Amino acid sequence: MEAQILLLPIGILIIAALIGLSKAKVVLKIVNMLSAVSSGVIIYDGVLGLKTTIELKYNLFNSSSFFAFLNYLVFRVDALSAFFLLILGILSLCASVYGIKYMERYFEREDMRVYTFNYPLFILTMYLVVICWNLLWFIIFWELMTLFSQFLVAFEQRKEKAVKAAFKYFCMTKAGAEFIVLALILIILKATNFNANYSEIANVLPAYLSVHSTTLYTLTFALLIGLGVKAAMVPFHSWLPDAHPEAPSNVSALLSGIMIKLPIYMMFRFFLGFFPLKPEIGIVIAIFGILTLFFSMMYALLQEDSKRLLAFSSIDNIGYILLPMGAGIYFLANGSQLFGGIALAAALFHTMNHAFFKGLLFLTAGSVMYETGTRDLNYLGSLAKKMPLTAFTALIGSLAIAGIPPLNGFVSKWMIYISTLSSPATSLFGIIAIFISAVTLGTFVKYFTAIFTKPPVKEIDAKEVPLLMSASQLLLALFCIVFGIYPFLPLKMISQALGSIGVQIHLDSLVVYPSLVVPKTGNYSPIIIFAFLLVSTLIVLLLIPSRGEVVPTWKTGRSEDLNMSMPADAYYRDFREVFREVYTVGDASKRFVQKIAEMAGMFGIKFEVLSYDLNSMLSIAMILIVILVAVLGGVEL
Amino acid sequence: MNIIFIAINLAFALIIAPLIDGFERKIRARLQNRQGPSILQTWWDLIKLFKRPTIEPQDSVKPLYKLAPYITFTSVLAAYLIIPTLLPASTNFIGDLILVVYLLGLATLSFVIGAFSSGNAYAQIGSNRDVSLFMSEELLLAFIIGTIAVIGKSLSFGQLFPLPFRISSVLALLLLFLVIYVASTRLPFDIAEAEPEIIEGPLIEYSGKHLGLLKYFVFLKRLLLYSLILDFIIPIQNPIRLICYLIGIIILSIVYSTLEAYYGRFRIDQAIRILKRASIVALIVWMIAVVGW
Repeated sequence: MEAQILLLPIGILIIAALIGLSKAKVVLKIVNMLSAVSSGVIIYDGVLGLKTTIELKYNLFNSSSFFAFLNYLVFRVDALSAFFLLILGILSLCASVYGIKYMERYFEREDMRVYTFNYPLFILTMYLVVICWNLLWFIIFWELMTLFSQFLVAFEQRKEKAVKAAFKYFCMTKAGAEFIVLALILIILKATNFNANYSEIANVLPAYLSVHSTTLYTLTFALLIGLGVKAAMVPFHSWLPDAHPEAPSNVSALLSGIMIKLPIYMMFRFFLGFFPLKPEIGIVIAIFGILTLFFSMMYALLQEDSKRLLAFSSIDNIGYILLPMGAGIYFLANGSQLFGGIALAAALFHTMNHAFFKGLLFLTAGSVMYETGTRDLNYLGSLAKKMPLTAFTALIGSLAIAGIPPLNGFVSKWMIYISTLSSPATSLFGIIAIFISAVTLGTFVKYFTAIFTKPPVKEIDAKEVPLLMSASQLLLALFCIVFGIYPFLPLKMISQALGSIGVQIHLDSLVVYPSLVVPKTGNYSPIIIFAFLLVSTLIVLLLIPSRGEVVPTWKTGRSEDLNMSMPADAYYRDFREVFREVYTVGDASKRFVQKIAEMAGMFGIKFEVLSYDLNSMLSIAMILIVILVAVLGGVEL
Repeated sequence: MNIIFIAINLAFALIIAPLIDGFERKIRARLQNRQGPSILQTWWDLIKLFKRPTIEPQDSVKPLYKLAPYITFTSVLAAYLIIPTLLPASTNFIGDLILVVYLLGLATLSFVIGAFSSGNAYAQIGSNRDVSLFMSEELLLAFIIGTIAVIGKSLSFGQLFPLPFRISSVLALLLLFLVIYVASTRLPFDIAEAEPEIIEGPLIEYSGKHLGLLKYFVFLKRLLLYSLILDFIIPIQNPIRLICYLIGIIILSIVYSTLEAYYGRFRIDQAIRILKRASIVALIVWMIAVVGW
């Protein structure tokens, strides 16, 4: 009976989507509230799933044909799914509550049905991707997720930019999905004897792939590209900085916070659950992680649009997840259980952390848009006094993402450094990760100060956002603080989640302190440092009180205003100038990719022209099928 | 016992750090054919600042502006628990190496946030330069840390003090010498403050106790970094460690202040370029360390 509760969110969200078809104004509130309620149930499912595995099985139709493996629809929540369900639930709860007020701003301009219909379905498909236990159903839900989310990206249909971004997003992720389909077909046809159930695959596939290593590398290649496009791994990231800023802010929070983590979830399933552990696969993933975090963060430093900056930083954080995942696979394959466990735990921890602080930051960017109507960092400024709560939560989010102790970002980054720096093979990755962490700090100093403290170009009229919006922000900020100070709770969930895909981390070999997780070998507890930091700050505050009189800001003695302020594009100009090689390489590769896209377009047109002629169309189709067969069957040659 | 030793270390740092600055002022004065103030002068300056009233600029974001100097000050103080100074006592655990980097990062961050929230345009320019410099410093520092971790096969100072004598460790310490010079905001690299140019940049609005705390922070940070490089060199269990340490501090401050006296200020892009080139050298040093030399 308990298992039936898995169906509850599906029901609620479908009802919400149906209500969303109506044009009435009150629908927006109802849809958001229903989504919030179902998010609550999703959280409950997650909590339940951590305790025991929940399973639901339905026999949909009795066909003995090719579709036989779609006969059974199996939902199953193990600890790994439950972990992602918790993230999804918490984030969509905040985004939905936030949306109640936030979306009102769009009433006059847009057709709200695009939002009210697609938003619940988007959450629903993400939920189904996480709970389904069959590869074929997975790909169906996966494609539906892309479909509904791209409608949300194109929500402001009159903006050409938004529609273009949605189109680019859809095309790229669709192309990526074909790679996943190819990999799935290969798995199902060759290895598992027409069985797509996860448990069966986990039983059969590792043994099969450790013998057939060519198939293993083909699958790894296809899945890395397929899932990598959706996760916005460099060099397949170019859709994300266009798509995420165009969506309404609470949808951006979901897109960045959880949707691009679902490929990570699948990577954990595939690379750790289904595939034999190979050090070279780990290193390849880690190299992709390093490329991702390095280039995206260097580009984030350039951005002058608040949400675009956040979007680039989302790509960066995908790098921070891929890096420890790859390093963890490498360590485990080489038999280093302790550091492998720490690295994988860091990957999952960072997945969760990023969902919270990036969700939070997108919501604050949304609040600023709600009040001022702009995302332009050059124009904004000095909002901290007018929007103190938003400023506070944005500060927490910025500090957390920069990995400042004692917030949650520090815990995961710390675990990444400890594991990667411990071995010469991965230490270069750790070095670059530390450097990029400093660049992240610079980027978010820019984000925070450009919006909240720098003198604005002209006086901006703003006030604090309504309670429902700031409540969501505060909740996420609270998570950032609590999981930083008390990382034991998420670590326990993570060790369960990793346990469910066969990786054991022994929590007793780790010591968990506020903000720190260290292998149990040191004599002293790091907690002393933080306790000291807190206590000494209080003592100094008491000893040297800081009350002072308020005087006008110093203007070099002139009576009128200085008339100088630093726009966002002037931040770190010299740094960018000196490191321009990075941007040269980045831009060159961008042009290269554009050339390839143009050429592909040309071939497409050629194909179109040819296909008017029936004979040539048939022959081309034949050739394609032959290639497909060769790919499917010939990989062992 | 250890806790008492650490407390002694802290007290030592709090008392000596301004004295070292006084000493360096004296050396610089002598090099420039001046009489120079007494060694105690820096202490008198600090005491005077702590007695003065503080003011708050009208356009500032008050909570951030007021809290920043305190956090800056205490985060560098907390780093003294990890790095032994006078006595060989510290709290060590795996990864404390990285924690020190982060504590110094936290200090820079709160310093910069405080300056940005003062509402003064010069403070903005200065802190912007500070962050640019911090990012490029961090690139070099990350390479040094990676190299040291490879050489010492550990991430804890407990196993890293002192470093084994190898080509790579000598080169790494030379690079550390450079990065410490940059981090201690001395003349060719004091671009963020740049007194004649942008009127002390981030410090422009701070006064009285706040200014005193921030100045104190700079002195403490310098002594901390001196101790860091000395700990890598001096064997920790040596009976004459104390004497070696004190002599080392004096030598380092003579060398650093001599360099300071002979240089004019770099432009920010020159400084960043130097750090970038040094990072490329550091990459080579890292390779040497991986090879095992």
